[in-house]
Amino acid sequence: MLRKRIIFTLIYSEGFFMQSRNFRLQKVGNINWLEKNYKFQNIAFSLDELIVLNASKENKSIVEFSKTISELVNNVFIPIAAGGGIKTMEDAELLFNSGADKIVLNSVLLENPELVSSLIQKYGAQSIVASIDYKKNNELLEVFINDGSIKISMSLEEYIDYIIGLDVGEIYLNSIDKDGTGFGYDFETIDNLSKKIRIPLIIAGGAGNESHLIEGLKLDYVSAVATANLFNFIGDGLPKARQKIIQNGENIANWYVDN
Amino acid sequence: MKIAIVDYGMGNIKSIQSALKFLGVEDIILTSDYETLKVADKILLPGVGSFGKAIDQIKSKKLDLYLNELVVENNKSLLGICLGMQLLGSSSTEDGLNHGLGFIDSKCLQFDNKNLKVPHVGFNQVRVNQTSKLYDGFTGDVDFYFTHSYQMTSDANINQCYCHYGTDFIASFEYQNIAGVQFHPELSQTNGLKLLKNFIEKF
Repeated sequence: MLRKRIIFTLIYSEGFFMQSRNFRLQKVGNINWLEKNYKFQNIAFSLDELIVLNASKENKSIVEFSKTISELVNNVFIPIAAGGGIKTMEDAELLFNSGADKIVLNSVLLENPELVSSLIQKYGAQSIVASIDYKKNNELLEVFINDGSIKISMSLEEYIDYIIGLDVGEIYLNSIDKDGTGFGYDFETIDNLSKKIRIPLIIAGGAGNESHLIEGLKLDYVSAVATANLFNFIGDGLPKARQKIIQNGENIANWYVDN
Repeated sequence: MKIAIVDYGMGNIKSIQSALKFLGVEDIILTSDYETLKVADKILLPGVGSFGKAIDQIKSKKLDLYLNELVVENNKSLLGICLGMQLLGSSSTEDGLNHGLGFIDSKCLQFDNKNLKVPHVGFNQVRVNQTSKLYDGFTGDVDFYFTHSYQMTSDANINQCYCHYGTDFIASFEYQNIAGVQFHPELSQTNGLKLLKNFIEKF
């Protein structure tokens, strides 16, 4: 049976990893901090996948970001998706060569669909994750690009149809309202949109504890649950959460500990 | 131990290199050079991307001829991973009908069940075959990480193991000195490392 996935999203900005709350970033630590507090290889053992997003505002250098990716991937034997600021084929190539298994696209999905199709042709649809950031404004679902700073004219429903038409491999659907709150996922929106989404769906924004993850994993149409909450899952938080999720009988992978 | 990873300009090979290094392989070379492939103990054929483009690249570097000589005629061990496995077979309908290397008799078709999310992404259970050297030490159903839109089928007897996603498809095969895995062992935590170790030590 195809398993559901638990994904951790690391938010990177100018050399540091950040805690994001409603897309406002707070500096937490650099890669050494992450290594010290997270013993990253142990954490990775509790994850099915890792996503690393470059949210740098001042200097969105792919070169610097890719160096961090290549340090992160050492002795981590899970898929890593990286993105944030990809504008050219060369940007994508640099991330793949630095150890990314997939790339995450956001603004460029709207701004340069031709590039998206060239990337799919070269690397295959399964290597492309489309990241969508949305916010509720009364009853309207608005989509934002450029790290949540620019509202686009399409509604979320229209935008999802547009994204599916690009033939990307997966959708990473992130609620800006729920981001970093720890209040739980925006299930109402996810549920309403689920029928449109015929490709793997990763939900993000709001997970604060393992019950939130479990609630997401139970939904048929959800392929993966993601959290970027460094604070709530610090230390042995993630290994413990995975253990509880397995004890709860959820459909996630097992791997042998002895090797 | 000298392992050559076939370089035809496609896919992330850093994860594979990193896994082999972790397993203590001293000599890991990324190459498309005939002499270098010839002196390697084993060959890995990786692959991410589309079938048509990959086979064109392989042919343009004459790798189809080199691999045929070294692997089919001279029995050097080869493991194909993901698209690398599919390329070892007869054909695929990705990018129109394309012929593969033809080392085994198989074809690749798109997952066509309307109720399935495609690509097939994530860990899925492989029903391991006890006679298979790749799965030495494994029992029952084992989780490996998949990410693909096309799946392989074969009527030949190539010691295949199956995985289920809407339909049964070939997750791996072992035919004489040639093996292939549809999943990514280098992205499958300790299960994957153990399988790669089996390939290095037992295949």
